[in-house]
Amino acid sequence: MQQPKSTKYRKAHKGRIHGKAKGGSQLNFGAYGLKAITPGRITAREIEAGRRTITRHMKRAGKIWIRIFPDVPVSTKPAEVRMGKGKGTPEYWVAKVKPGRIMFEVDGVPRAVAEEAFRRASAKFRVQTRVVTRLGEGAS
Amino acid sequence: MSDEAMIEALPRAPRGKGGARALRREGRTPAIVYGGGADPLSVSLDYNVLEREIGRRGFFARLYDLKVNGDVIRVLARDVQVDPVSDAPIHVDFIRYVAGATLAVWVEVRFEGQEESEGLKRGGVLNIVRHEVELMCPLEAIPEFLVADVSGYEIGDSIHISDIELPEGVTPTITDRDFTVATIAAPTVIVEPVEEEEGEEGEELEESAEEGAEDAEGAPAEESEDS
Repeated sequence: MQQPKSTKYRKAHKGRIHGKAKGGSQLNFGAYGLKAITPGRITAREIEAGRRTITRHMKRAGKIWIRIFPDVPVSTKPAEVRMGKGKGTPEYWVAKVKPGRIMFEVDGVPRAVAEEAFRRASAKFRVQTRVVTRLGEGAS
Repeated sequence: MSDEAMIEALPRAPRGKGGARALRREGRTPAIVYGGGADPLSVSLDYNVLEREIGRRGFFARLYDLKVNGDVIRVLARDVQVDPVSDAPIHVDFIRYVAGATLAVWVEVRFEGQEESEGLKRGGVLNIVRHEVELMCPLEAIPEFLVADVSGYEIGDSIHISDIELPEGVTPTITDRDFTVATIAAPTVIVEPVEEEEGEEGEELEESAEEGAEDAEGAPAEESEDS
């Protein structure tokens, strides 16, 4: 699973996800991409599960790019612990995803294979997604 | 040169955010025409017509005749702003055609001969490094696309820009090196270690009986599978 090698601060604020993606909303590497259309926090586990699903469906042909990185630590409190006494310990990492963000790109496989791989992978994410293609390659 | 097409456009008076949004609500897309030594001209285009044209390949390589108030302006699309979520065009930049001018244009590369390529037949993967190439073109001779023939290539070979036939007068903007457009990569052979991450794998196995066996093999997938 992905996570930062080192961080300046161990714990981060929860924050809120507002607005649409400002960057990373167009395909930069592959011919097909999976775009988030709702906001959400994608965990490192979800990213890994999606990556595995895509890789397996493509039978390890082609190429895959992951365009998001889980750089926000999320802390939780242990079970049966009263409120207060400070913030919990960091448990997992998430990537904050805004609508319009390209999460994955693939290339080197036929369109039908890419679409099916993305369809399967999208079941792993808590955000709604859409498959996109390059400009001028038909409606996506 | 690519084929030319006519698009009806209307001049637009209220410029700025409010005017542009009002136009979009009416099913029109704001656009601007600039260059050619004349003042910039704000226009609007029918959304459906524009979307159809953008959906055709070679939008940025095709000369258009914009019909504005009876005048015909020959233009070339330079940029399209799209909504990040819906990918709907929200603004278009056009540059006026000037006879004899040369312009840097991004031109699509199409790869042909994939069925005949020995490297691809043997399981190689066409790894496209550049889907588009920036070329300096005379406006009269902008190619709609470039054709890269991959039929004679083996695994490990690279297709460079010098291997692609360019129309006369057209040169790549990158001149200091013979850059790579695509490579024929070897198929990925995966050696998957058998060791497992216990908790995680257990969950996955429960999730899908069908993929269960595969999951067990590919457990620590971080380094085991190529991405």
